[in-house]
Order: sequence, then C-alpha cells, then structure tokens
Amino acid sequence: MEASDLGGHISKRYNKDIEELRSSVLSMGGLVETQLQLAITAIVSGDSELGIQVANDDYKVNKLEVSIDEECSRILAMRAPAAGDLRLIVAIIKTITDLERIGDEAEKIGFLASRLAAMDRPSDSYRELKNLGTHVLHMLRDAMNAFARLDVQEALEVVREDDRADEEYEAIQRQCITFMMEDPRSIKRVMNVTWAARSLERIGDHAKNICEYVIYMVQGRDVRHTRFSDVAESSND
Amino acid sequence: MSLLLFLLLGALIGWYYDRTITGLLIASLLGLAWQTRQLLQFERALRTDNFDKFRYGEGIWEQLFSRVRFDRERGRRRKEAYRNLLKEVRKSTDAMPDGAIILNSRNEIVACNRAASVLGGLKRKKDRGQRLDNILRDQSISALINASNFDQSIEVASPVRDGDWLNCRVVPYGVDQKLFLLRDVTERVRLGKMRRDFVANASHELRSPLTVIGGYLEALSDDDELPPQWEKPVQQMRSQSERMQQILAVLMELSRLENATSASHEEAIDVGSLINKVLTSLPRQPGQADISTKVTCSTQLLGREAEIESVLVNLLANALRYTSADGSINVSWTHDTDGASLVVEDTGIGIEAEHLHRLTERFFRVDRGRSRDDGGVGLGLAIVKHVLVRHDAELDIRSEPGSGSCFRCVFPASRLDKSVS
Repeated sequence: MEASDLGGHISKRYNKDIEELRSSVLSMGGLVETQLQLAITAIVSGDSELGIQVANDDYKVNKLEVSIDEECSRILAMRAPAAGDLRLIVAIIKTITDLERIGDEAEKIGFLASRLAAMDRPSDSYRELKNLGTHVLHMLRDAMNAFARLDVQEALEVVREDDRADEEYEAIQRQCITFMMEDPRSIKRVMNVTWAARSLERIGDHAKNICEYVIYMVQGRDVRHTRFSDVAESSND
Repeated sequence: MSLLLFLLLGALIGWYYDRTITGLLIASLLGLAWQTRQLLQFERALRTDNFDKFRYGEGIWEQLFSRVRFDRERGRRRKEAYRNLLKEVRKSTDAMPDGAIILNSRNEIVACNRAASVLGGLKRKKDRGQRLDNILRDQSISALINASNFDQSIEVASPVRDGDWLNCRVVPYGVDQKLFLLRDVTERVRLGKMRRDFVANASHELRSPLTVIGGYLEALSDDDELPPQWEKPVQQMRSQSERMQQILAVLMELSRLENATSASHEEAIDVGSLINKVLTSLPRQPGQADISTKVTCSTQLLGREAEIESVLVNLLANALRYTSADGSINVSWTHDTDGASLVVEDTGIGIEAEHLHRLTERFFRVDRGRSRDDGGVGLGLAIVKHVLVRHDAELDIRSEPGSGSCFRCVFPASRLDKSVS
C-alpha cells in the first residue's frame, strides 16, 4: 500500500474523511511527542512546575483519543471499508490506544519530575534518564514518521531500536540498586528514578507496537510476537 | 500531382481494354489504399516518435513531415533549455542555508529544498503530497500554517537534532500557495540562554560578598565609638549597599521569571480583593495623589497571585512617583471584549512617545537625572512585562506628556475562571 492509494476512492468525501482521520492521528502523535519531551526536560532540569503542567495537560491526549475513536466507528459504520482502508482503520484504533498509554506514562513522568525536583539531585542530574528519554523520544518520533509515510523500513528500524531501550533500562535499574545498597537513605529518591525509567521503557514498547501496526497496515501481515530476524527477512521480499 | 498521373494512367489502361470507368475506379481505390497506409504509418511514427521507417515520398506528406519534425526539434530544444534553467534554480535553492518548503492550499508539500530536508527531517521524494503537519507534528507549527495572518514567526525544537532550535514562518504567494521557511536559530537561542544564565549567576555570586559588606556596615553604624566624621559616610555606604542588595534581589527575580515556563492555571485570584490588599499595604507618604478603584469584573484570574501582586505594586509605585498631589490615580479591573484587563491610570507627567517602546527594558530611564534618588530601581516595568508574558497577557502603554499615562494589562479569556462568573 502506498500513500497515494489512500486517495483512490470514487467518493471524494470518503477520501477526505480518511485523510483527515490520518492527520488527526498524527497530530495526536505530535501532542504526545511534545508531552514526552516536556516531561523529560522537567525531570532533567528539575522543573517541578513544568512537570505538573505536563501531568495536567494529559486530558488533551485523552480527549483526542475519544474523538478519533468515535470518528473511526463512524467510518466503519457508514462506509464499510474493505482491504487497505479496513486495515488502516484497525491500525488507527490500535495506534491511538498506544499513544494514549504513552501520554499516561508521560503524565506519570511529569508527576515524578515534580516530586524529584523537591529532593536533592545527583551530580550528573539524571544523565542516564535523559539518554533513555531521548532514545525513546526518537523511537516515538520515527514511529509516527513511519506511520505518516507508510514506511516499513523505518518501522523496522524502530522495532530494532527497542532492544537498546531495554538494555539502557536494565543498566539504570542495576545502577539504582547499587545506589540503594550504598545509602539506604536515598531509597525513596532512587525508587522514583526507577519508576521514571520504567515508564520510559514502556514508552519504547508502545512505540514498537505502533510500528508493528504500520507493518500490518502496509503489508497486511501480523508481526506481533515474532522474532525480529523473521520479520525483517520477510519484509524484504 | 503524382496522384493525378496515377489516375490518368489507370483511366488509359481502362480505355485500352474498353473499361475506362472500371480502370479509373481501380486506380482511385489503389490511390486511397496507399494514402490510408501513409496516414496509418504517419500516425504510428508520431505515436512512437520514430520517423526512421516512415517513407514520406514527396508532396504534401513531405511538407507535413518536415513541419512536424521542425516543431518537434524546436520543442525538444525549448524543453532542454527549461530543464537546464530548472536545474540551475534547483541548484541555487539547494545552496540556500534556510529551508524552504512549497505548500499548496491544503498544506500539502509540493517541493522542498535540501536545507528543509536536513533541518526538518523531510524526505524529498517520499513526502511529496503529504500534509506538512503530518511530518512536522509540533502543535504550534500546525497552528502557524493554518493561521490567517502571516506576520508571525515561531521557534520550535528541532525534530532532528536534540537541543537545536528552528525558527519557522509562512510567506503566502501565488493564488493559494504558501512558502514555509525554516531557519536554524540554535546559536541565537543559546546566546539568549547564556545571557540569562550569566545575569542569574552574576547576581547570585554578588549577593554573598554584599551580605558580608552590609553586615559589617550595619555593625559599624550601630557602633557608639565610631568617630563623628565617619558617621555620615558609613550611613551612606550602608544605604547604598542596601540598594544594591535590593537591585540584585529584583534581578534574580527577573531571571527566575524569564526562565520559568508559563504560569499554572491552578490558582484563582480575586483581583478586586487583591487591589484592596495592595492599597492598604502600600507605603504612603504625605503629598501623594489619591488612588481610586473601580472593579466591575467579578471573574477570577488564573495565575500566580504573588506575581500579579508585584505587577500591581510596581505599576502603582510608578504612578505615585510621577503624579503630583493634586493629580489622581485610578486602578480598575474590568471586562474586555474577550478577556479582562487590569488598568492603572494616572494624571501624572506622562511619557513621550519615543520612549514608550523602551520602557520595559532593564534599567531604562526616561530622565537619567531624575528618579534615581527616590528609591526606584529601574526594573519594575521589566518585571511587569515578564509576569504578563508568563500569564499570556499583553501590556499596552498609552501616554501623553503632561496629561498622564495609562498602563493596561490585557488578560485573554483562557486565563479567566469560567466556573464562577
């Protein structure tokens, strides 16, 4: 399926509906990207006000999810789409769920940022959280780009990147355990750090899910719960 | 000509066999067949653009053919020239350091130059026909390209490189086309941040030595054994160091305001009672103008109460400073067309128009000689401006020399508490 295929309906109205739906998913993606970026900034710079703002703005993401969901049901009911269009709608319904979850995780991170800002800060000011955060932010961005361009290669790239996010998460966890063993007084603070890292790692997984929906949408293959090498191999045919 | 000869020949052969009409008919049918074949071949040659196999003979076919060949040649040359021109144009737009993206009326990407694909992360071939806000998904970008006025530009974080900043603006052209321009302003943003950090750090570093100096001066001035000729200098040093501490405190407050994000919407402020609170706590001296209030708007304002209070205190202090005893000052909190405004109006000396746009600069003074000694720090309006920016509000200053000034803080409807009205 190519991007131009989406405009291939006899009814102009239908074309427009589908195009608008796609754009609204992408704009929801943009909002979630911003939320995540602000949440990471809040935690790295210790800005509690920014963290609270991110947590408070999550309702916007939820509202978008509900309205896009409604629009999907409307198109399903009125147009009875088939083949590529049907896959697009199904993929969108799943994608927005994952986006909403990412929004929730960003909300959580914002909240944790405001809590961490009140405690003493380590000298590296959470560099490892920043690295992991930037990594998953790029994954999310690339996932949304792959969605916009219906680009399977880009989607596969993101799926591959998820392993690195998992590794980084594990490294942070190990580091946190060391901290807690060294100084039990820091446990409260370090627990918050592990929660934030956990949220970031989950965001990476959600970005990966979105890419799997993109592959499903374009090629009609379900690649969930399969090994990466198998996926990459059969995508190249 | 040859056709006529051919027909005549047919007629002659027919006449010889006593069948003139039949001969003529056969000859004309043969002629027609030949012409049809020519026509078909000509059509095929045109279609496949291959004239090698086409035997055009002479007469009308030759003329037709040379005509077509001439036109084709000319068209080809013209196309070549256009192609070269286009290549040159593309080369020059690719050499531009700023990104440019051509959008059609539906905000779909028609073309973009190399800088745009580098700065904005666009793929030149793949993204053609894609809506721009599908790729650059920042909310403010989609607001910018859908806006109806084109004189604004915004700064957004680069989607490609972390920490980089892009300045975006839209220029309309043609019937319904738009040019979306991207410029890398990382350096400028970084410089601004450096300046802010410098002011914050410098104020912070200066504060501790000043505290020490101030402490000793305070002890000295309280000392009974201080020689009388030192009393006045020590007193002056003390008041000046206090003044410096005050300036530093204000500077630090300013840089805090500048670095902070937009104020939260959580606190609801009752502006009417805030005005009363400020008026009762304001230090008054004899010989100052009277202050009247007018509160017609009961809607509460969403923001930081302490900051709005400092706006009021600063505006009122200025009004008192520049208004004589027989003048009057009026504070009001009223509804606007959409939103509400807090206005401080006086009948004081006023400000000349040329100074108005510089009023909110730090340490700017209309009259250098005046006002240094009456306690002003020169940062009041800078604070007012930054607090208002944080509250999405605008400061509108109108003034006429000799007849007074009017400072109007206009808050948008989004900053008003809609639950109680």
